[in-house]
Amino acid sequence: MYKFIFASILSILFSISLPAQQYFTRDALVKFDATAPSSPEEIKAVNKSGTAVLDITTGDMAWKVLIKNFLFEKSLMQEHFNENYMESGKFPNATFSGKIVNLSDVNFKKDGEYKVRAKGVLEMHGVKKDVEFPGTIKVSGNTLQVKTNFSVACADYGIKIPGTVSDKVGKEVKISIDAPLAPKK
Amino acid sequence: MLKKIIIALLAVGLLGGAIGYYLWNKPHMDVQAAKTDVSIAAEQLFKAYVADENAANAQYLEKTIAVKGVIREVDKAADGSVKIIFETGDADGFGVSCEMDPLTKHKRTDFQKGETITLKGICAGFNLDVQLSRCVEVNQN
Repeated sequence: MYKFIFASILSILFSISLPAQQYFTRDALVKFDATAPSSPEEIKAVNKSGTAVLDITTGDMAWKVLIKNFLFEKSLMQEHFNENYMESGKFPNATFSGKIVNLSDVNFKKDGEYKVRAKGVLEMHGVKKDVEFPGTIKVSGNTLQVKTNFSVACADYGIKIPGTVSDKVGKEVKISIDAPLAPKK
Repeated sequence: MLKKIIIALLAVGLLGGAIGYYLWNKPHMDVQAAKTDVSIAAEQLFKAYVADENAANAQYLEKTIAVKGVIREVDKAADGSVKIIFETGDADGFGVSCEMDPLTKHKRTDFQKGETITLKGICAGFNLDVQLSRCVEVNQN
């Protein structure tokens, strides 16, 4: 599906032959922190290989991370995260597809940091939800640094936190994304 | 008798605690020392995923894979982490993306475009590129 969205954005672009309107990264840094307020242990992980494609003429974008590529400090946490919580064997990725709703506020020709809002569908653990969250796009020359911070509730995505660890694993998970996008070669 | 029971219970408790502590602090797999499950050319691995992601996952996902290929791109992030993309001949520029292991002290991280090398890592799946995590360089003789 992701490859399909990616390919369709690509083909639309090629059909109207506007080069360099499509920005891409395979180096999106995606972090999450699921530490409960009372937890003595930090429960967090990082994925350095998120992919994203953004069409700056329409604001359409698609993001994807592989769940198995989240690295934890503790091996056991990583195991539990994959097997018990995210069930990454069954649901290998998390994706977002949607668009920037205030695209006209961003001047891609002028360096600076612009506030944006994204709206679309976040899918993880096999559950799709409509979401909207704020972010920033920093334009410098030919590159874009896209950042966002948002929270998701585990329950919204059918991720069950057993009572025995509910003092450690929070009900809300903070997610931060920091991605350098460059024109697709 | 009671004393014996208490001692036995304490011993079980201690053992349980020790096992729990060991599990909790269980180290990550040592990729360098790990047995290679599959040795494959980058192009071949990528093509397997493009042809059928599910079948390729059944064969390669979470396996320790040694991938040989020509370096297309070396990405160095601000935090010092290194990612190597292997050439696969894909028209859109996708290939096999290998994150060097943050837990290993690497002999070198100064890879050059065009070099042929073999990297061993854990297959994390398909995200435009085939992604390998925790890679180390393997010396081929």
